[in-house]
Amino acid sequence: MLFGIVVLNALLAQTAVRIDQADRRIEALSQERLALVREQATLSAPGRIASWASRHGMRLPDDIRILHAPGVGSMDPAGAGTSSQAAGAPGA
Amino acid sequence: MSRPPAGRLAALFIAMTFAFATIFVRLAFLQVSGQAAELQERALDQRVRTVALPADRGQILDRDGDSLAISTPAVDVYADPRYVTEPWTTASALSPLLGLEAVDVAQDLSAEATFVYLARQVEPAVADRVRALALPGVGFLDSSKRSYPGGALAPQVVGFVGIDGGGLSGLEFGYEDLLAGRAGERTIELDPNGRPIAGGIDIERSPVAGSSIVTTIDRDLQFQAQTALAEAVAAQRARGGSMIVMDPRTGEVLAMATYPWFDPNAFGDSPAWTYRNRAVTDVFEPGSTNKVITAAAAIQEKAIPLDQQLVVPWTMKVGDYTIHDSHQHPVERLMLGDVIAESSNIGIVQVANRVGSPAMASYLSRFGLGRPTDVGFPGEAGGIMLPLNDWSDTSLATMAYGQGIAATPLQMTSVFATIANGGRWVQPQLVKGALDPEGIFHAAPAPKIRRVISTESAEMLTRMLAYAVEYGTGTYARVSGFQVAGKTGTARIAAKDHVGYLEGQYIASFIGFLPAGNPQVVIAAILDRPVAGSGGLAAAPLFQRVARICVTRLGVIPAERLPLPPHALPVG
Repeated sequence: MLFGIVVLNALLAQTAVRIDQADRRIEALSQERLALVREQATLSAPGRIASWASRHGMRLPDDIRILHAPGVGSMDPAGAGTSSQAAGAPGA
Repeated sequence: MSRPPAGRLAALFIAMTFAFATIFVRLAFLQVSGQAAELQERALDQRVRTVALPADRGQILDRDGDSLAISTPAVDVYADPRYVTEPWTTASALSPLLGLEAVDVAQDLSAEATFVYLARQVEPAVADRVRALALPGVGFLDSSKRSYPGGALAPQVVGFVGIDGGGLSGLEFGYEDLLAGRAGERTIELDPNGRPIAGGIDIERSPVAGSSIVTTIDRDLQFQAQTALAEAVAAQRARGGSMIVMDPRTGEVLAMATYPWFDPNAFGDSPAWTYRNRAVTDVFEPGSTNKVITAAAAIQEKAIPLDQQLVVPWTMKVGDYTIHDSHQHPVERLMLGDVIAESSNIGIVQVANRVGSPAMASYLSRFGLGRPTDVGFPGEAGGIMLPLNDWSDTSLATMAYGQGIAATPLQMTSVFATIANGGRWVQPQLVKGALDPEGIFHAAPAPKIRRVISTESAEMLTRMLAYAVEYGTGTYARVSGFQVAGKTGTARIAAKDHVGYLEGQYIASFIGFLPAGNPQVVIAAILDRPVAGSGGLAAAPLFQRVARICVTRLGVIPAERLPLPPHALPVG
């Protein structure tokens, strides 16, 4: 019986060690995950991307153009297909 | 084998008896005198240590789940100078790792104190290298470091935390309870070498991590809006500016910027006044953008036939004061649509006189002026609006064109969102909800909604605002392919002593939405004292630029064009 208790105690101790190791691993992985999320957010920050793009000669388009497929819908948008430069005198 | 002498044995026996008797008497004395409990407690105090277990602070996310603020593990390095044997040697070993001057570290290590921080929020890898040095008297505390990956991206909205991790401004402060979680603690019994005693006390209360806040902010749109605002401020040599982009259907704020801003990663490098989210916490006299409320009241109350022509000179006597339009002109005949398009002060005062003070006060209030929107941002201002009983002879006239009343940029954006939304006021929102530590999303309470004017009145007003952009003061706000509705504002700035206004200095604004026929986005562009002066010249181009950005970013598509409102001025 004494031998049985000793064996059981040893097994419990082994399991406790494994649980402790797993806890530490979870903690380490959680920390690593947070660090990676931060890195991802930093690398994908719009300011960083815009700066990189600018250094490589890219720029945002000056204007937008709306194309209308013939026969689709009945919309009559204002100034479609014209330059975006406002006409007429500016207001006060 | 010889036996020890009986005398020596007896002497030893007596000595032992005396020693044990002394111990027994001392023990009995301690028990009887009641010192036992105190001594037991002191012994326990020496062995038992309670360590705080900090809770992970939740993130602040944009509407797509990208992180605007995140906490990562860090370590605070401290010293107990009493145990530092060689301050200079220790300082020389620490300073290169911690990036500190050896002189400063040595000074800290020589201090007459039991605890000094050497470095806070150190990266765990660096802390491990310091730990490996096994320097006597140097200790470590688990901590965390708040990072703002986007840098100066919506800094006044997001806010920042202090060195101890508590929110100090913005959403970091406003949602402190939710973000911070609850710290835990571990009580453990240690041996003299600081090692846990097997079978000793070991009680742990686990920390509860904070929830993450999901905002309504669109990170990319925010960045582009900020870029446009900064360039407009520079081009106009303005003192600053504010920008709000909102979805009128849901009240969600997609972008909110105040220039100048700061980098929350190093907020101490910027003056404290840049921390204010002026789009929410500061008020301004809105000027002509407020004319939409006067017009809305007139249309809804049928105070004036829409095709009635008003005779509009360029000056007008109100009480003891003479008010005038922004420029000298001959007497004109204008309908309400023309008054809005031309932004005539005299015309709108005539309209307001037909609406009357009680109705005007009611509509100002129904559009949300004079009280906070409860957007959920700390320190939100409610604006300044005199109670009807305190109105003077000139109050109705000045409020009709947006002077003598003050509102936040968010309140004014909300006014235009109400018109865009078919006359329904939808409470603005900055936070969509919270993600708890298990990853379950809890939506924020639904925004309050109330009807302010009828759908028909809102549509007529939209037609007038579209007319203002196509042929009136807002032509620089036009966007290719879209019918835009909006209004310029050029407001005088109250003097600091609250007597009169600053000469020749204005807040220029343009607030509008697109497409007029099916509004999907409301944009407010406000510049503080631009060189161009007027809202039509200074703020409308900024609106136009941000509107284009919204079209591409949000995939806004054109809608059916609304007809012009009744008007007397020739167009085309």
